[in-house]
Order: sequence, then C-alpha cells, then structure tokens
Amino acid sequence: MSARPLALPALVAAAAILAGCTSTAASPTDPSAPASAAAPAAPTPGGSIVYGHQQEPACVFGGWIEQSYLSYNVLDSLVALDENHEVVPWLATEWSVSDDQLEWTFTLKEGVRFTDGSELTAEVVAFNFDYWMDGGNGTAAAWLGGYYESAEAVDERTVRISLSRPYPRLADNLTQGYFGIQSKEALESRSDEENCEKPIGSGAFKVQEWNRGENIVLVRNEDYTSWPANAKHEGPAYLEKIDWKFIGDPTTRVATLRSGETDAIYDVPAIDWAPLGSEGYELHRYVTPGRPQQLAFDTVDGPFTDERVRKAFAFASDRKQIVETIGHGVIPYEGNGGVSQATPGYSQKAADWYSYDPEQANQLLDEAGWTGRDAEGYRTKDGERLTVVLPYGAGSIINADGAAILQGIQEQVKAVGFHVELIPVPPSATFAGAYSTPEERDIYPGYWTSVTAGILYINWRQHLPESPNYANSAFLADPELEQIILDANSTVDLEEQNELYRKAQEYIAEHALSIGVYARLSTLAVREGLVDVWQENAQGGPVFHDAYLAG
Amino acid sequence: MTALKDSPAGSPVESAVQATPARARRSRRVRPSVALALAVVGLLGLAVAAPQLLATHDPTAIDFSAALQAPSAEHWFGTDESGRDLYSRVVHGTRESLTIGLGAAALSLALALVLGALAALGGRFVSGTVNRLVEILFAFPTLLFALLLVAILGPSATTQIVAVGVGSAPGYARIVRGQILAARRSGYVEAAIALGHPRSVILRQHVIPNAVRPLVAVFTLCVGQSIVWASGLSFLGLGVAPPSSEWGALLDAGRAYVTHAPWLVVIPGLVIVTLALAATAIGKDIQARLESGDS
Repeated sequence: MSARPLALPALVAAAAILAGCTSTAASPTDPSAPASAAAPAAPTPGGSIVYGHQQEPACVFGGWIEQSYLSYNVLDSLVALDENHEVVPWLATEWSVSDDQLEWTFTLKEGVRFTDGSELTAEVVAFNFDYWMDGGNGTAAAWLGGYYESAEAVDERTVRISLSRPYPRLADNLTQGYFGIQSKEALESRSDEENCEKPIGSGAFKVQEWNRGENIVLVRNEDYTSWPANAKHEGPAYLEKIDWKFIGDPTTRVATLRSGETDAIYDVPAIDWAPLGSEGYELHRYVTPGRPQQLAFDTVDGPFTDERVRKAFAFASDRKQIVETIGHGVIPYEGNGGVSQATPGYSQKAADWYSYDPEQANQLLDEAGWTGRDAEGYRTKDGERLTVVLPYGAGSIINADGAAILQGIQEQVKAVGFHVELIPVPPSATFAGAYSTPEERDIYPGYWTSVTAGILYINWRQHLPESPNYANSAFLADPELEQIILDANSTVDLEEQNELYRKAQEYIAEHALSIGVYARLSTLAVREGLVDVWQENAQGGPVFHDAYLAG
Repeated sequence: MTALKDSPAGSPVESAVQATPARARRSRRVRPSVALALAVVGLLGLAVAAPQLLATHDPTAIDFSAALQAPSAEHWFGTDESGRDLYSRVVHGTRESLTIGLGAAALSLALALVLGALAALGGRFVSGTVNRLVEILFAFPTLLFALLLVAILGPSATTQIVAVGVGSAPGYARIVRGQILAARRSGYVEAAIALGHPRSVILRQHVIPNAVRPLVAVFTLCVGQSIVWASGLSFLGLGVAPPSSEWGALLDAGRAYVTHAPWLVVIPGLVIVTLALAATAIGKDIQARLESGDS
C-alpha cells in the first residue's frame, strides 16, 4: 500500500506535477500511432470536428460505459488513471487513507467552478457520493455497495469517505467515468431530464444540445481550469465544438470517415482495421480491463446445472481460432477466468484451463447421461434434446464481429451434440430486461468493464432470493467464491490481493461457471490532421480535451 | 411490386383485372418471360423440396481457411466470414424464405377476404366500421406496422409471417371489396335477381366465385412482395435467428462486409429480386388469362 500515489507528498504542488505529467505523457494507447511525434509544436486553438460514435445512451451521465464515454468529456472526476495504471490527481490534488483503511480523505483543487458558476467544494463531492448511492448511478452504487458508509465535508476543500470494510482499490475505481462530479446546485434545482441531457460538470466541454437519434453537440468550456494530471496540455480544450454523431452501422461509420464526413470514429470493424491503417488513419485500440466478453452458464436451471455439461461446452469449441479468424488479429481471444488479460491480477492459469478437446467434451456428456443422438445428430437424454438457449444483445452488447463469433461457436459445439439456439435480442428489448431470468436462458454473453479485478465481486456476489444480483449472470450462489473475492477486495498488500483474485479466477475456471470468448475493445480511427485524440485509461473512451486540428 | 401497395386500392391490379379481352387473348401463348419465370419457380421449388440435390456444401459448415472468398468454381457464390458456402446457404435458405413469403401471402389474403367481404356485404354499420378500420390500417406504412408487431411478438419466422401478413392485408381487403361490389353490380347478378334466385344462392354461385377468382393472380403477386417485406425485416435484424440462411438474414449478415466482400450482399439481393420478378410475371400472366376466361 505504501507504494500508492496517496503517499506522494509532491502531489501537493499541483502545477509542478501538471507540468511534469504533460512533458512525460506518452501515447496512452497504440504505440504505433504516429500523430503525437509528428505534431507541430504549437497547436492552434479553434475549429470543430465530427466524431462518429456507435451507440446512443439514454443520458449523458449514468452507469453504462456508453454514458461514461460522453460524461468523461463533460464531467471531471476526483482522480484519473494514467497509462501505467497509476492513479493521478484530477479534481483531487491528493488523498490519503487511515491506518485502519476505513477513512479516505481527498483534498480538492482550488478555484474550480462548474459551468453553472457554482463552486466545487467538499460538500458538493460528498453530495455526489450520496446521489450515486441513492439511485443517481447504478454502476457507481454497485462498486461502492457493501463498502461505502458516508461522505462528509471536513472543511471547504477536504472530503472524507468512510467505509465499512477496507477497500484499498477505491481510488482506482473512482477513475471510471461513473464517478464524474456534478454541480450540486444543478442536481438539486433542475429536473431529472435536464440533468440527464445536459449534466453540469466542470469538464473540458459542456453539452449544447442533444438531437435524439442524431447527435450531441459539445462545446468548449472556455473557463476550464481542472484538467487531469495526465492531460497533454494545460488550459481549456483547443477544439471549439464536437459534433458527437450517432452512426450505428459499422460500414456506414467507416464510410463517413473515408468520405471526410467524420474526423474520427469509434468501434472500427476488425476487417477495416488494417486497410484504414494503411490508408494513413491513426488507429487506437484499448483492450478493456474487467470482465471480457464471456459466456456465463445458467447454474440454477437447465442442462448447465450439471458441471460436466458446462465443462463439455468449454472443451467443445476452439474459441481461440474462431476469435482470431473473425477478429482478423485485431480482437484478442480471452480465456476462462472471469477477468480480461488487461486487468491487474489476471490469472493465465485460469485462462488456459480448457483447450479445444471434443473427445473430452463427448466423454463428459456421456458421463452426464446425454448419451442419445437424434436424427439431426444432437444429443438427447430421456428423449429430450440438448438444446441450450443463448440470447444476446445484438448491436448493443454484441457487435457484428461478436455475432459472427457466436455463430462459429454454435456450429462447432454442434459436433459434440449441443443444439445452441442463438437469439439476437434488439437493443430495445435488451434494455427492457428481456431474457433476464434463469428460465429464459442457458448461456448469457456479456462484458463489464473495470480497472481492477474488483469486478469479480460485482459479477459473482451471490445471487440469493433475498438479495438478488442480476450482474451475476450465472445466477450462482456460491459462498466460497464470494468469500475469496471479499478477502481479496479488502487485502491491503497488492501482491497478496492479486493472488486472491487469481484464486477466484481459477475457481471460476475450474467449475466452468463462465468461459471466455474475446476481449472487449474500444477502438478509434482518426483522420490525419486531427491530432492528440487519445483514449483515457480507465475505460478507453475518446478524450478530446487535448485534440486539435493541424494545418 | 411496391407500386401495388403504394397506390390506393391496388389500382394496377384492378385495372389489370378489367383488361380488355384483346389483351387477354394475346397472353394465351406462354411468353418467354413467363417461361423463364416458371423455370425460376421450378428451380426454387426443387430447392425447397430437396435442397441437398442443388447444394454443393453443408450450409452451416464452417471453414475458417476459406473465409471471405470471392465466387469461384469451388464456391459459386463465394464464402462468408466463417468460410460458409454462400451458394449452399442461398439454396437452403429458400425453404424458409418461401415459407415466410407464402405464409404471409396466405394470411394476408385470408384477412383481406374476411375484411373485404364484410366491407362489401355487411350492413351499413358493419361495412362502415370495417371500411374505417381498413382505412386506418392503410394509413400505416406496412413496414412500420410490421416493426410494431415484431417489437411486441419478438423476432422469429412466425412473427415475420404475422407481421407481413397483417401489415399488407388492408390493401388487398380494398381489392376484395372492389371485386365483390363489381360482381354485385354485374349483368349476370342482375339477371339472377330478376329470375328470382334467393340471395344466398346468388352470393354463393355468382358473387363470391367471380370476386375471388382474380385473387389467384393477386396471391402470386403477394408472395413476391411478402418475401421482399420479410427480407426487409431480416435485414433490419428483426427476422429469423442465426444460423438460418433466410435470404434477408443473409443480406443483413453480409452488410458488415459490403466493401470487402460485396457478393455477400449482391447475390442474395439478386436472388430476392429474381424471385419477386418471377412471381410478378407469373401473377400478371394468370391475371390476364383469368380475365380472358371471364370475358
């Protein structure tokens, strides 16, 4: 714990640190990205750009990564994550934790004002914590739940967060966009709709207008003073305006970039990656830490209640080959442990738990009593076909590449006798909660981004009748696994903590509770002449504060 | 095809039904376009009945080493992102595409018959109510109505049949009503009335058969149109579940690769167009023949 940034006294001198960070800031994403090196010395402020994004969320601020991408440019957080996975100052200049690990104290930057003119104070920050916990942000609440007790303003510039149990990774988690700080005055005096569409932060941009179904217009905050320590420059954003356009179709998005209609796009289809690179577009790729795209088995209803059937499914497909082919070398394969390779405390052993072994899959299914075969070659037991239902959020949770990967798995597991029923669920139904009960599905694919392996607690906290956990998509109620993760969450020594997280991943792999498929990526393609767009390090969203138009 | 739906009361069909005897006589010989259309339908019929006779590969077999290959001697229509043979997928998708097309057309015409007969033969209240209902439904664009149904019922082949069938019924209901009204006012019905035949007999023996006969042609047209609508729904991702190779679903899947592997979109698109054209050609021919029989 002593190595954590909270112990760095030098952080008090904010200006010096900012200068230092600016000079050392390397490209946080793709090292092959040529832009920064070739950039002219003095960027000229001004101009506007069009950014083509894939999905349109319901609000600018909220608990979904798509909201985080937006709010990161509008709201400032207490802390940010740099490219070395270190927590660095943002609205907080320094922070410390008590010896018993239960009280976190954050010191705030001075002179920060929200875009409604109100001031950033400790009271405002404390109010934001309570606001998230009271339903203002479900994901923030999921992270803090079980640990957070209260937040109070010690003085004008000092806020104290009290926890019920130690959580040494608290600051790391606060770097995610779900923890953006909003104006208390705005939250209290304006309607929910206003705060949804145009949240008031102290960020580099503010929301000018939202044309639903089309775009969100972000304009520069001329009075910006609170850039994060890992920003590439000090002062307000260079760009005056960002037209954040929603272009759902990937082919169209790429076409708009090529035609010059957009200056940058999000989520580059794997097949367009190499061609765009060779055409001179700057490519950024961020492998999202947290839960990668995994298949969680329904452990309370249907054939996967039998561990042997789950293992058989894990052995039955060459997921690595499928992902590498469909992903054209851009989308990495992810193994079986519950967190992605980009996550601190990742276990390679868990990832490698299952190889492609149809023979073993067949043997396990025989042992599990699925010995019959019907006319179409599917396995049966007591006359019932081994059908497993796999609904997926088409176009929301799973993109076109992902859908092709799922079909590859569907076809391969057919050989050992699984009949996989793929159900593409449209976004409206996905967000309305379709297929959310154990009776409706047998496998559920999904990701959950996170900067730490603490995501395991959110995903594997027991699903119990008295305290359901729908983020536990296996519907598992396993006190042993939960205890390992709880112990990890509160372990102060990070090496020891990682060891426990690895143990949890190996437990998940060993019991085949969920299996990995592919890494969730955040990718960007940026045209030549638009310089210093980068991906923030907590979730891979685009950062436009430092971006400028060259020439 | 779409002109039929977009024009009020399906006027092209009505006008075709009332074609002059001279035109009808000209169409007694099998024109080359109709012969070609029959050949296409025959081929598709074979694809429905015994796809394994036409297909060259297993339609769902994945071969990653052959992903996204252009059309060749080995893969006539090329391959998709998983190396599946597109030609075999098109062949195997015929059954589902035609089932949806025929099912939707049958449902649409059945509904149209009921609504049209009620509108033409019901009392003032029934007729007025049905007419207003049809007009309201008619005001909805078919696709919008179908989307609404898919949103309620969830995507599947059955939903597509219902969505397209119900969505396109109002237009045909207007045609049925027009046919029945025309038959009621015809000379032979007037003669039957003058001869003192009972009302039920006149309806059964004269009005209904004469009103319904032209619908055989309309049905053929409707099949082609339904396939186009259903493909549209699949293209929007609201159709059948993967790995089905229903033609609209093939179009949708190929969309992501349109700049790299255009055959994935162009070929299924051409197949849909070919079937729609064949159905239209046959439908118009039947129409003309029926008309000549009537006159």
